[in-house]
Amino acid sequence: MKPRPLYVGIDLGTSNSTAAVFDGEELTVVRNGQGSVLTPSVVRIDGRGNVLVGARARRFLETDPANTRGEFKRLMGTTHTLEFPASGAIRRPEELAADVLKSLRQDVADQLGVAPQRAVVSVPALFELHQTAATSDAARCAGFERVELIQEPVASAIAAGWTRESGNGPWLVYDLGGGTFDVSLLETQEGLLRVVGHDGDNFLGGRDFDRALVDVVIAKLAADGVVIDRADPRHAVALRRLRLAAEEAKIELTRAAEAPIFLAGLDLLGQSVDVDVIVTRSEYESLIAPIVDRSLDICARLLAANGLGKDALERVVLVGGPTVTPFLRERIRAVLGLGFGEGLDPMTLVAQGAALFAGTVALDGRPSGPATRQVGDAAGPKVWLQFPAMTSDLSPFVVGKPLDRSGSVKKVKIDRADGEWHSDPTPCEADGTFAIMVRLLPRQNTSFNVSGELADGRTVALDPPQFSITHGTTLGEPPLSRSVGVALADNRVQIYFNRGSPLPIRRTFVLRTVETVNPDSAGHALKVPIVQGEFTLAHLCRLVGTLEIPASALTAALPAGADVEVMLELDRGGQLRARARIASIDQVFDQVALLVTPQVPLAAMDDALAKLRVRAADLSRSAFHGRSGKAAARLSAALPRLEDAQRNIAAARGGDLDAGEQARRELSDFDALLAEVEADQAWPELGQEIEESFAIAVSWVAGHGSEAEKSTLNNAYRACKSAFVGKDADEVQRQLGVIRRLGSAAYLRHPGAWDREFEYCAARVAESTDIRRATELVANGQEAIRKQDSAKLEQIVRALWQLNPVDRDDQKLGHGSGLRSR
Amino acid sequence: MTDPLAAWRGNPFFVLGVSTQASRAEVERAGQKLLGLLALGSASARHYDTPFGPATRDADSVRQALATLRDPNERVVHELLANIAPGAAGKHTDHPGAAWKGAEHALGWSGRWAE
Repeated sequence: MKPRPLYVGIDLGTSNSTAAVFDGEELTVVRNGQGSVLTPSVVRIDGRGNVLVGARARRFLETDPANTRGEFKRLMGTTHTLEFPASGAIRRPEELAADVLKSLRQDVADQLGVAPQRAVVSVPALFELHQTAATSDAARCAGFERVELIQEPVASAIAAGWTRESGNGPWLVYDLGGGTFDVSLLETQEGLLRVVGHDGDNFLGGRDFDRALVDVVIAKLAADGVVIDRADPRHAVALRRLRLAAEEAKIELTRAAEAPIFLAGLDLLGQSVDVDVIVTRSEYESLIAPIVDRSLDICARLLAANGLGKDALERVVLVGGPTVTPFLRERIRAVLGLGFGEGLDPMTLVAQGAALFAGTVALDGRPSGPATRQVGDAAGPKVWLQFPAMTSDLSPFVVGKPLDRSGSVKKVKIDRADGEWHSDPTPCEADGTFAIMVRLLPRQNTSFNVSGELADGRTVALDPPQFSITHGTTLGEPPLSRSVGVALADNRVQIYFNRGSPLPIRRTFVLRTVETVNPDSAGHALKVPIVQGEFTLAHLCRLVGTLEIPASALTAALPAGADVEVMLELDRGGQLRARARIASIDQVFDQVALLVTPQVPLAAMDDALAKLRVRAADLSRSAFHGRSGKAAARLSAALPRLEDAQRNIAAARGGDLDAGEQARRELSDFDALLAEVEADQAWPELGQEIEESFAIAVSWVAGHGSEAEKSTLNNAYRACKSAFVGKDADEVQRQLGVIRRLGSAAYLRHPGAWDREFEYCAARVAESTDIRRATELVANGQEAIRKQDSAKLEQIVRALWQLNPVDRDDQKLGHGSGLRSR
Repeated sequence: MTDPLAAWRGNPFFVLGVSTQASRAEVERAGQKLLGLLALGSASARHYDTPFGPATRDADSVRQALATLRDPNERVVHELLANIAPGAAGKHTDHPGAAWKGAEHALGWSGRWAE
């Protein structure tokens, strides 16, 4: 008998981590050495270099915070390193995550006798590529040879769907973790789960509850003349003790009407202070209300974006420790008007879903060594079977292929182990394959026996003789949560993968160099910045990696306007691969130089904050003058985020690395918001632009366009106007592009057009990206005009266009990209 | 440009060999079967017929087709395109499981599996 499969799912959390296993039938949450299903994501390295993980490490958070680190999840994929002064050890965040994963892997081994080789690890839905890649790295570091990632809300939804028969309709997974908030809108149809959309905030979580509580304690102490300054690194130890005490008080407040925060002998610059503060529940609730409301605003935004009202939801699943807060549950019930899935453990749901997903993708964790066979077990001919270990389909296909070369197996038959269903003997096709539709028992694990009919008519058992399939809610494929593309020198983005694309995925586009790159220009490099985000402007998207082609590596000069074939590939483990092929010199580059977020210097963040304040003030003023109440309201609602950012920058000065990351994110989110409001403000001008572009295009198309072009132009104009009325900026831009292309195509048919274009380019040779080549082209062009060779002139003008200068400011915003679209 | 009919042949309904009336589950089932056969290296699964002539598919194009049809909005568009395809219209009525005549055969389906 073959051992049951071992599907392992791991929830690597900000505060706690959990492992669960699924054997095709039973779903079990793994207990650690302390008998708990939660392993604190805390690592301690003592003076002798010993590493402690989990609850045993967490005990030292208060007494020895310098050598005990937690909450490193959000720092993964950044260049931050964490120091353990007692041993002098320096660790990257992913190395600490690997320690936690290693400990969970050991727990699975202790409980099941096998150290799993493969696992599914969950990540927040809004994790960006560098963060997901760092998670995979951590898992490999912990000894997993293969790992797939799943988004936490999707995992929760699979687990919630597993435990209960659910109807058809949209549902919401509200996942408030220690550090991140994710909300996902899902829909189940015929047991098949689909992620309709998600939203969230990478920096909103239970920690913010703690932080608000700490702020109150600091304020109360200040009233007594005790000053604790977040920005002072010498207060870091005291702050950490305070935060731990606040966390305990928070848990107590979910039950009690008030909780004391008592800390004896808090060390403040050598002065010993006793903290004794009482926080009441109503005080606490008013503190967290804005944070809870922020999460509910995000829910409303997600529903609105998908055209749903709040009452359209069928159910809401709550995930994460902070969701046990009674106040939060009341607020959600009041706003969304729904009860919650009963009997679901918000703390372990994600790990359970990850384990179930491992079953769907058949990621068996057992080492795939030589099959252990019992003596006397007569093995039949080998057969290679392909089937989903878990499916929502009651009649899935089992396909397979006998592996013996002789072709002795002529027909294959599958029988359900309960004897209630049998397939017909199915002949193998010419290429050896067969496909048989089997019948599953609903919502359970069904076993089947496989037998073969030989050429001589004998029936034999095949190897493997048995397999099983589980019926339940499944997910088609994990979708990409944010679009990925290449930033261009004009600060636009060439989208490669749209949000929602199935993974793995690979695409190639041909782009063009903006400038000449010479092999002898040392230190120079052609940059291909890879960005992630939903914005059309590159600087608003997140830089997740850069493919750099160093000038010194080129075998020949790369002229401006040369074709570069850029391929991006993304797997389910969040690993991004990029490759650039330059056909003209037959070279391939695939070194992605950076997949980490550079540390932004605090001074640069101060600077950015100041600039954003000025921009926001200017915008509110113009919104006020323009009587645009909506824009003004949006701005004033967002302004507190700048205060948050300022507070976080101060905390980062005091040594709180995580606060620094949060500030960086808040600043870039605010930047994106300003850009949106600015675009809104510029809306009337866009209307003007549509009219002007149309007027120009129509004048050329009327004289030089075909009938088809005329009607296309009219259609594009109508579509553009209706998109304008519907405030669909992307569609307006798309249709404007069509209008302009039609106009310029007609214009270029004018007999004098190429001459005129040539004169225009010739007058601007000095600005071109490759002056020597442009001068040469102009000389050739003059020659062509003399010979009245219009075909040649057209060719030359097109070459000159490729040397058009780029706007340096745009290029800087576009992450220094050296490419433009064709 | 390359072959103008390539886009028509790449219609997800043709790639998966299912009718535009196929249910969500039927679409998934067809995809799952094809992915299994392709993983086994089945030569016949690589080829499929369309009203615009034969075409080839691989695991990537099957997964892409599945993803497209999972989105209800995209599915509607491709239903329209598949139905206005010359030669495809009307033919799917003779068998609910197939997009056009010969599809079942091309896919290795046979009457007893299709319900």
